[in-house]
Amino acid sequence: MPLIIKDEYPEKLFRKDGKRLDGREINELRPIKMDVGVIKNADGSAYLEWGNNKIIAAVYGPREVHPHHLAKPDRGILRVFYRMATFSVFDRKRPAPGRREKEISMIIADCIEPLLFLELYPGTSFEVFIEVMDADGGTRCASTTVAALALADAGVPMKSLVSAVAVGKIDGKIIVDLSGIEDKAGDADLPIAITWYNEEISLLQFDGNMDLEEMNKFLDLAYEALKNIHQIQLDTLKSKYVKLQEETSNPNHKNDNKGE
Amino acid sequence: MMDVKRIISKIEKDYILSNLKKEERIDNRGLWEYREFQINSDLIASAEGSADVSLGDTRIITGLKYDVGAPFPDLPDEGVCTVMAELLPIASPLFERGPPGEQSIELARVVDRGIRHADCVQTKKLCIKEKEAVYILFVDMYVINYAGNLIDAGGVSALTTLISAHIPEGIWNEEKHETEWTGKYFYGQDIVNELPFVLTYGKIEDIIFLDPSLPEELVCDGKISISVTENKITSIQKSGSATFSIDEIKMLGNKSLEFGKKLRKELNLLQYLAKTK
Amino acid sequence: MEESEQSEDNEFEDFEDEESIRDVVVPGEVLTEDVKNFLPGRGTILNKEKTKIISLNIGLKQIKKNYINVIPLRGFYTPRPGDKVIAMIVDKNPVKYKCDINAKDFGQLKPKNTIKKGRTRGFRGAGGFPQEEVNTKKFDIGDILVVKILSADRLNKPELTTIGKYLGKKVGGIVISIDPPKIPRVIGRNGSMIKMLKNLTNCNIFVTQNGRVWLKGEDIAHERLLIESVNKIASEAHTVGLTDRMQDFIINEKKKRGIE
Repeated sequence: MPLIIKDEYPEKLFRKDGKRLDGREINELRPIKMDVGVIKNADGSAYLEWGNNKIIAAVYGPREVHPHHLAKPDRGILRVFYRMATFSVFDRKRPAPGRREKEISMIIADCIEPLLFLELYPGTSFEVFIEVMDADGGTRCASTTVAALALADAGVPMKSLVSAVAVGKIDGKIIVDLSGIEDKAGDADLPIAITWYNEEISLLQFDGNMDLEEMNKFLDLAYEALKNIHQIQLDTLKSKYVKLQEETSNPNHKNDNKGE
Repeated sequence: MMDVKRIISKIEKDYILSNLKKEERIDNRGLWEYREFQINSDLIASAEGSADVSLGDTRIITGLKYDVGAPFPDLPDEGVCTVMAELLPIASPLFERGPPGEQSIELARVVDRGIRHADCVQTKKLCIKEKEAVYILFVDMYVINYAGNLIDAGGVSALTTLISAHIPEGIWNEEKHETEWTGKYFYGQDIVNELPFVLTYGKIEDIIFLDPSLPEELVCDGKISISVTENKITSIQKSGSATFSIDEIKMLGNKSLEFGKKLRKELNLLQYLAKTK
Repeated sequence: MEESEQSEDNEFEDFEDEESIRDVVVPGEVLTEDVKNFLPGRGTILNKEKTKIISLNIGLKQIKKNYINVIPLRGFYTPRPGDKVIAMIVDKNPVKYKCDINAKDFGQLKPKNTIKKGRTRGFRGAGGFPQEEVNTKKFDIGDILVVKILSADRLNKPELTTIGKYLGKKVGGIVISIDPPKIPRVIGRNGSMIKMLKNLTNCNIFVTQNGRVWLKGEDIAHERLLIESVNKIASEAHTVGLTDRMQDFIINEKKKRGIE
């Protein structure tokens, strides 16, 4: 039986003033908030709020591989498990992982693997668990971004971070960072991730249609957006430590403030 | 504490036990004290109600989804409320991926029974049309960090989620033979009546204490969870290999009613009612 | 067995060198583009074009002679021969004990490495017989041992021994864990921090490179204060003037809590 409210999309995806439905410009990202060290038990963890997306990632490893036959004698393995909570989407999702979740897990693992030195950890695994608590378009990109953050927080040596964003086309216009509605109602969707140590693309999918000129524009717009996302990642990782350094290096100043 | 491992070291076991005998706990709590509860509600935009509850370092995020379906034949005018729990592998190296294990099923069942028998959810109000359409509520708990006593945290989490509910109101259309949206919502206060709290005690040798932390949970012989409403006990679950004397159970029943009252006042869960739109 | 000596490790002294505590860097961050004058040291790598030195870890940038290092702030323990570490027995069979040493592999302790040669007294299992039985009855699962690592490499499981000064089973006390990279700061330069902790809290404390700290005091109030102090050191490990601040902290807390 269908739900009471239907999951319908509006006819027009741009407002009269040319902005998008949520008031964004075509190349504007949704508000992004990140945090690291959110799960005490994990070796590394990170939390990301990207618009309405809320995602938690945790890293365990290097540790013994279960089941044992997956272990490789000459190198470590990276395993990513992307899962969505039942309540993270409009229709309640079934609790068991589906095909979509398995595919996304795989592409995120492939995206991050070139950054790691897995040959240094033979016979072991790094496991990245990504739990999408609330989803609103672009979760695979957000998940890739937060997974990189969690690995860095775990102290796993890596060549650089990786950032991801989706660009797409709605009503013939190219836009950055598709929201849930834009994703479902739009004409094209191109999730892309970049590894920063060599600025090369490490995740790329595309659904829709585009001509060559559009493709170039897609990539240019994505690159600009990715730089912003990368900056937020860097700030998030550093801020906790730098803040403490500043507080402790100037104790007199702190006391003055207390006195006032 | 030592890393979270299945085996707990002997010295840690001795340490916990010898201190409990002196009524001391490493986190500076008394035997009958809870760790601090932290509650946030309605944080998941896609869910019809949600809560993020921390009890010390234990953290559970719960969300509510609904569906409209046919009622059970024997209860034609009552909706259904089901509770599911998942121990996410992010929460602890002890948790593995895969289908729900014993621990998560126990968590879901104990919380479910506490709610079901306490006259908490007014299932009759979840009926849209007798014999045709009722609401099915899914309360899904996700354990984010495991630091002991999932049941008490889960109980508060499930309750807060139900209180924060905002569900589209449906009306039965006889001609089309389907449910339509009235354009309005109904809220937690329309369906939640009693507020049951579940209190879990650990037992090591003959010492009983409230709210076992993870190391305490790993070394204790067993646990007992007691759900209480304002003045009634609604469910009890004993788990683990510990045994309790009749006097101990009587004492715990007494204490649970007392602590339940205290918790009800301190947490004041009704403040998490969804804001009427 | 008294624990006055701590394992010394020159490599880790970098961290203790407060002069070197400077910038917090993250994976992928460019440390210098001056590859003529600087060489990539620990925790760093050259980029593909060999034009930049980049960081592999979240850590502190340190310049030592013409090397650029990154001292990690997060990470896991990698066993090295000679390390003394706190281990827990998690399993045993007649020929070996399996020990958790907080590394990617479990350590192996063979019975022959638990019996001092040429001496039989004090060995429980054999009760003073000249010829000792080689079996695994000496220790039980769940025992906490201080062990020395005999051999460790990337491919094989670390071999352990309990023969030697300060090694063997721990009785009483409690073991806590912190991030292994923070351990050098709990020890302090020339053991200054650990001496201060010991004197002010009247606790016995034994700190090992794998991130574990064993401690035992006269009562739980002192132990609680020491545990809080160790955790505070770990979270402020990247700041300067830590020993002095910790001293003030402990003296203050002792007054506040009314313990001597």
